[in-house]
Amino acid sequence: MATEEGLLEHLPHHGPPQGLARWLAATNHKDIGSMYLWFALTMFFIGGILALCIRAELFRPGLQFFQPELFNQLTTSHGLIMVFGAIMPAFTGLANWMLPLMIGAPDMAFARMNNWSFWLLPPSAALLLLSFAVPGGAAAAGWTLYAPLSTQMGMGMDMTIFAIHLLGISSVMGAINIIVTVLNLRAPGMSLMNMPMFAWTSLVTAFLIIAVMPVLAGAVTMVLTDRHFGTHFFNAAGGGDPILYQHIFWFFGHPEVYIMALPAFGIISQVIPTFSRKPLFGYTSMVYATASIGILSFMVWAHHMFATGLPATVQLFFMYATMLIAVPTGVKVFNWIATMWQGAMTFEAPMLFAIGFILLFTIGGLSGVTLSVAALDIQLHGSYYVVAHFHYVLVAGALFSLFSAIYYWFPKMTGKMVSEPLSKLHFWWSMFWFNVTFFPMHFLGLAGMPRRIPDYALQFTTFNSIATIGAFCFGLGQLIFLYNIIFSLRHGKPAPEHPWEGANTLEWQIPTPAPYHSFVEAPTLEVIENGVIVGMHGGKHG
Amino acid sequence: MHTAQQRANRALLIKLLLVALLMFGFAWAMIPLYQVVCELTGLSQMTREAKQAALAMPVKLRFDATVQPGLPWRVRALTTQLTARPGTFVKVEYEITNTSQRRVIGQAIPRYLPAAAGQYVKKIDCFCFKQQAFAPGETRRLPVVFLLDRNLPPEIRSITLAYSLFNVAG
Repeated sequence: MATEEGLLEHLPHHGPPQGLARWLAATNHKDIGSMYLWFALTMFFIGGILALCIRAELFRPGLQFFQPELFNQLTTSHGLIMVFGAIMPAFTGLANWMLPLMIGAPDMAFARMNNWSFWLLPPSAALLLLSFAVPGGAAAAGWTLYAPLSTQMGMGMDMTIFAIHLLGISSVMGAINIIVTVLNLRAPGMSLMNMPMFAWTSLVTAFLIIAVMPVLAGAVTMVLTDRHFGTHFFNAAGGGDPILYQHIFWFFGHPEVYIMALPAFGIISQVIPTFSRKPLFGYTSMVYATASIGILSFMVWAHHMFATGLPATVQLFFMYATMLIAVPTGVKVFNWIATMWQGAMTFEAPMLFAIGFILLFTIGGLSGVTLSVAALDIQLHGSYYVVAHFHYVLVAGALFSLFSAIYYWFPKMTGKMVSEPLSKLHFWWSMFWFNVTFFPMHFLGLAGMPRRIPDYALQFTTFNSIATIGAFCFGLGQLIFLYNIIFSLRHGKPAPEHPWEGANTLEWQIPTPAPYHSFVEAPTLEVIENGVIVGMHGGKHG
Repeated sequence: MHTAQQRANRALLIKLLLVALLMFGFAWAMIPLYQVVCELTGLSQMTREAKQAALAMPVKLRFDATVQPGLPWRVRALTTQLTARPGTFVKVEYEITNTSQRRVIGQAIPRYLPAAAGQYVKKIDCFCFKQQAFAPGETRRLPVVFLLDRNLPPEIRSITLAYSLFNVAG
C-alpha cells in the first residue's frame, strides 16, 4: 500500500491548468483533440456559408449576387477550407482524442509538437479568409490551384500558398505523432493485428499524409517561385510545362482523397459492430484492404488528367488502376454489410449516420468508377457530375462518418449524453436534404453543365434551383447539430459508464467522462480482433 | 524506462521527418523523372504517333519517269515506291545521267495517277520546277519534296507520280 502511494505521488494527478494557458500551451491530447474538433466545426460552418453563397448565385441563371471573379474566389475558398480546414483537422482531432484511449497510451508521443500542429491551423485559416480583403481578392484558381492561372493572380494567391505551407507542416507533424503513438505506445497485449480498425486507418492515413503533403508543398513552392523569383516551372514560354503542375498536384491530390476517406472507414468499422452487437466481419481483410487502398492511391493520379491528351496506353493504365481500387473498397462495403447481417441491430444516431454513410458513399464510389472510364471522362470531366461524385464521398462519406463519430464518442468525451431525438432529426434532415442538393447535380453534369461557373444555360435552371433549396435546408440542419452539441454539453443527461451496450473496445473500459490523464500506467490487455478487450489488468488514470 | 521509450520515439520521429523531406524533394525530382521516363518508354513518341494515326490511313506512293524521244538521258527513280500518311512530308530522289557527249537541256513534266490526286500533292521542291542543264556525261541526283495534303479523299489509296522528260531546244 505504501509503495503504491509513493508511486502515485509521481503521477501527474493535477487537473487541467486554468484559463487561456490551458489552451495556448495545451499538451494534453484530449484538450488538443477538442481544439481540433472545435476548429474543424468552425471552419465547417465558414466553408458552408461560402457554399451557400455559391448556391444562392446558382439559384437562377444570370448574375444576381456575385461577379464571376468573386464567384471563383468563393468556389476556391470553399474547397480549400472544407478539405484542409474542416475534414482533415476533424479526423486529426478525433485521432488525437481517441487513439491513446483505444490503444492504452498515456498521451500522444510528442505532446509539445502536438500543440504546435494545432496552433499552426488558426493562422493559416486566417490567411485564407483575410485574402478576401486584399487587392485582387482570394485565390480564384479552383482548390487545385492549377497553373498557369495560379501563377498570375494577386497577392491573395501568395497568402493561399503560405497557408498551404502552414497546413502542410501542421498535418505532417500531426501524422508523425499518430504514427509514433500507434507504433510505439500501444499497451502490452495490443498487437498491431488486433488494433481497432480506427487505429489502423489512422495509421495508414498518417503515412499517406507524410508521403504526399510535402509534394503539395513542393508544387505550391514552384508556383511561388514562378510568380516572384523568375523561374519557369509552369511557364511554357520559358521552357516549362503547365501540365507538369497537374502531374505533381494530383500525385498529392489522389492520396489526399483517401486521407479524407480512410479515417471515415475506420469510424464506420467501430460503429457498425457496436450497434450490430457482432464482431467486425473480416477484420484481417479490412486491414489488408486499407493498406492496398493506401498503396493503390499512389498509382492513379493521372485519372484526373484524361482531358490533357495523355497517350492511349497511359489512359488505359490509369483507367484500370483506378477501377482496381473498387476491389478493396468493395471488400470493405461487403464486410460492413456482413457485420450487420443477422446482428442484433439498434438504430441510435451513430448507427444511422454509419448506415447513411454506407448507402451514399457507395453511390459516390459507383459514380467514381463511371468517371474512371477514360472514354466517358472526356465528356464528364469538369462537369457537375464530378461535383456530385465528390460531394457524395466527402459530405455523405467523410462528414457523415464524423457526425457518427461525434455522436458515438460524445458520452465518453464529455460524460453527457446527446439528445437522441435531436440527433435523429439531424440525421434524417441531413440525409434527405443532402440528396436533394447533390443528386440533381448528376443530371446537370450528364447534360453538360460545367463546374465553377456563376451563370448557366437556361435548360439547367430547374435542377439548379432544386439543388439550391436543398443546400440551404441542409445548411440549416447543421444548426441542429451545433445546438445539440452545445445544449448537451451544458444540460445533457449524465452518460452511464457504458452508454452503448455493444461497445467493447478499450476506450469504453475507462471511467466516463474520460479522466484528464488516462492510462498514466499502461494496462496489460487481452485483446482480440478490432481492439475488442476480453481481459484487462492494471492501468491507472491520473 | 521512460528515456528508452523517448529514445525510440525520437528515432522514429527522425526517420519519418526524413521521409517527409525526401517527398518534398521528390516533387522537384518529378521534373527530370518525367523526361527520363517518357524517353525510356517512348511515351511522348506514342502521343505523336497516335496523333498521326488519327490523321488518316497510309497511302501507297509510286514513282516513275520516262524519257521522251530526242532526249539522250537515262532517268531512274531511286525510290520506286513507299507508303506515307496524309499530312506528312515525303522526299524522294531521281538520278539522271546525260548519256551524250554534248550539253543537253531538259524539262520534266509531272503526271498523276489518278489525276484527281494531283491537287493533294503539294510540291515544295522539284527538279521539274525549272529546266535542267546537263554537261556531257554528267550524272546528278535531283530531289522531289512534297507534302501529302491531309484532305486527300480516303478513297484514293495509291498515287503514282510519273515524269515525262522532254528535250528543250536550244
